[in-house]
Amino acid sequence: MTSRREFLKVAGGGALVSFSPLLPSLFASTASASGASADEKVLVVIQLDGGNDGINTVVPYADDGYARARKLLFQKTSELHKLNDHVGLHRSMKAAFELFEDDRLAIVQGVGYPNPNRSHFSSMKIWQTASIDSADHGGYGWLGSALDYAAEDVERPNEASTAQNAIFVGGQETPVALWGRRSSAISLSRAEDLQLELSSMQSAVPSPITSRNLNDIEQFVRKQSVTAQSAAKAFAQQNQKSGSTASYPDSGLASQLKFVSQLLRGGNTARVFYTIQSGYDTHANQESSHSRLLGEFSEALKAFLNDLKAAKLDDRVVVLAFSEFGRRAAENDSAGTDHGSSGPLFLAGSPVRGGLIGDTPDMSDLVDGDLKSLIDFRQVYATLLGKWLDVPSKEILRHDFETLRLFH
Amino acid sequence: MSAWTPYQPKNEAPWNVERVVHLHRRAAFAASWSEVQRDLREGPEAAIHRLLSGHERSKFNAEFEALSQNIAQAAVASNSAIRLKAWWFLRMLKSPDPLGERLTLMWHNHFATSNRKVENLLWMHDQNQLLRTHSRGPFGKLLSATLKQPAMLKWLDADANRKGHPNENLGRELLELFTLGIGNYSENDIQSAARALTGWTIKKDEFVYQESRHDDGQLEIFGSRLTLDGDGLLQRTLEHPATARRLAWRICSTFMGENTYDEAALADLAAGLQRQDLNIGWAVETVLKSERFFSANNLRTRITSPTESVISAVKALELDDPPPNTLQLSEWSTRMGQDLFYPPNVGGWNGGRSWLGSRSIVARCNFASALAMGQLWQSSDPARVESSLVKLLEQYAVGSHLRDRAQWLATLLYGTSTAEQVSIVIGDLNSSETPLSHMIARLMASPDYYLA
Repeated sequence: MTSRREFLKVAGGGALVSFSPLLPSLFASTASASGASADEKVLVVIQLDGGNDGINTVVPYADDGYARARKLLFQKTSELHKLNDHVGLHRSMKAAFELFEDDRLAIVQGVGYPNPNRSHFSSMKIWQTASIDSADHGGYGWLGSALDYAAEDVERPNEASTAQNAIFVGGQETPVALWGRRSSAISLSRAEDLQLELSSMQSAVPSPITSRNLNDIEQFVRKQSVTAQSAAKAFAQQNQKSGSTASYPDSGLASQLKFVSQLLRGGNTARVFYTIQSGYDTHANQESSHSRLLGEFSEALKAFLNDLKAAKLDDRVVVLAFSEFGRRAAENDSAGTDHGSSGPLFLAGSPVRGGLIGDTPDMSDLVDGDLKSLIDFRQVYATLLGKWLDVPSKEILRHDFETLRLFH
Repeated sequence: MSAWTPYQPKNEAPWNVERVVHLHRRAAFAASWSEVQRDLREGPEAAIHRLLSGHERSKFNAEFEALSQNIAQAAVASNSAIRLKAWWFLRMLKSPDPLGERLTLMWHNHFATSNRKVENLLWMHDQNQLLRTHSRGPFGKLLSATLKQPAMLKWLDADANRKGHPNENLGRELLELFTLGIGNYSENDIQSAARALTGWTIKKDEFVYQESRHDDGQLEIFGSRLTLDGDGLLQRTLEHPATARRLAWRICSTFMGENTYDEAALADLAAGLQRQDLNIGWAVETVLKSERFFSANNLRTRITSPTESVISAVKALELDDPPPNTLQLSEWSTRMGQDLFYPPNVGGWNGGRSWLGSRSIVARCNFASALAMGQLWQSSDPARVESSLVKLLEQYAVGSHLRDRAQWLATLLYGTSTAEQVSIVIGDLNSSETPLSHMIARLMASPDYYLA
């Protein structure tokens, strides 16, 4: 891994130019390229938004409790893609099953945390900040903190870094998971989102050094501006050499992942890409939408991994898919399910050691109508941080968590 | 109310252009230069009273409402969400009551409902009108009107919540987002709230209470055992002190800047709200009239939302006659991250620093260019904005030097201008044929414009 300082030496220090007449040069002049090079390990996160019904995703068909809890939503054993003699994937997840058989998909079962929170917002914040304590939830995300750590520049700790270390692909707000103290996430939903109309109106003019003392929020808006404009410039250069020809299914998630692939093929140096598949909050008439979501997820994932493989990028990329919680064991009377606790989590990619990880939660051993959590999600994070992103996990998670065998 | 003592102009906080612009950017999107001058002359009392009374721009009231209604009806009849958004942008731009529109936007975030699931523009429009009608009244009326209305009932699955099989969606968000806020109730309270709300449903575009579906059994909520229906539940949430605290927070986060109010100030405002029957108008008045609101550390410390930033430039620069195509204004707001009638989820937009992702900033810069180049009007004309601005500066007798002009435009948009900003804005413009539109594009693309 090339350090940022070494990179600056190689690049002669002035890798990027100042783009905007509107930014004080104090910031523009430090808008140097990030230390990341285009061959580092990458994490792609897919957030299954709304609380995925894990029980009907990785179906415990051999558990007597399953048929008792699920009547209208019962999945026929014969239609499942059986992973072993106890559980099988939902019938719409054929593509995921193929990845599983090809040793490119790990399914971690019963993932949650102590004292489950059933609020979408609180539970999502718990996952995104890797902290159960709500006092931490306004702050920084687990990935933002990890990128902060990776980009630490001990010589100039007070200067704004414009390292483009994370990219959120989607139409929503940038998730808290990506917010860091110094690292910056950019967000896009399509290529045009990063095309700055460099009309004559905003052509570069010399910018004087600011004479004012900037307060915290003024510094923030300037830092965000520099980041955005650097990203726009860098993206314009990269975009010319992308061009994926792989075929993807027709879904929102698939086009988002295709866009990630284009960015990677174009040599983008971000370490983390993040995207969201919405719609998992299935309180009523669950089956048709859940089946569609799982199918779209599986097919998009497979197309993405195969695309990366064809581009010989697959050794660098791991995909994590999680949801903020699972659903209650018992279905409700609207042919749907309400907010629950633990659920399965997916890790995919060539570097991943495929297979089922952990025990399957017992449908007759419930806590308050919910499945038990058998593996803390922070164990997964600790493994990803330590063994994939090369960041000491305790620095980010504040505690030591036992790691899992997720990689070859 | 020591945290909210009324503002009196004084040396460290004079009643000046900076503060008039501050008041309007926070409470009314923006003011034209003649409005700034009027308020400067008449003083803070009159300026704030005019905003609160709903007659900031008194002309064409009846005419405006009739036009607005026609546009809304056409949008609903053609089932066009983009036209309904454009309708609201036109209201924000032209309404005689800009504070009312600002509050409606606040409530759209508080009771965030998305047409993504509701899929009914009539219901979305009607909800929006309710937010407007009750925007500054007692919160109880607003809460009841918004909840007992099809958009919200559909959004949070009220129909699926029946006796014997409760669906928690509406009950949970009522406690977590609309009233008490997180940390003030137990999981058991949620389940009881859901049971109390059983029987609420929609029939023929109207709220109905179906008694046969209501669970009238004993339940336990907030530490009492009793039987409870939906109205009773709302009453209990209104009486809960945490609701006043949450409303105080909502109002402060709308009108105050970052780090300008602490827990004690919220508690003070919440206590007043409880005494005032949760009267929102009273709380808004208290905040806008306060010393805290006009203190130097509250100036330009709030990141504007996309919708606010789109509207405020057009208003301040008086580019609203004829107005830009509001379909386009709404599309730009979406590109910057705020798609009205389609909030990201029931929690609404997070606001604050989360508004400034890269895509949002690129869109803000591109919007500045598009506006300055006249691309937002029905017939695109690159000279339109330049000639409008030339007339505007003549009207207000602004000097002809580039420096004077840049300084005046910066003051109109930001409330103040520094020599440094003026130099950056002028840059190499001497040879330009359209210096004013160049300046506007630069002023609006600047990080300084993201703060109000």
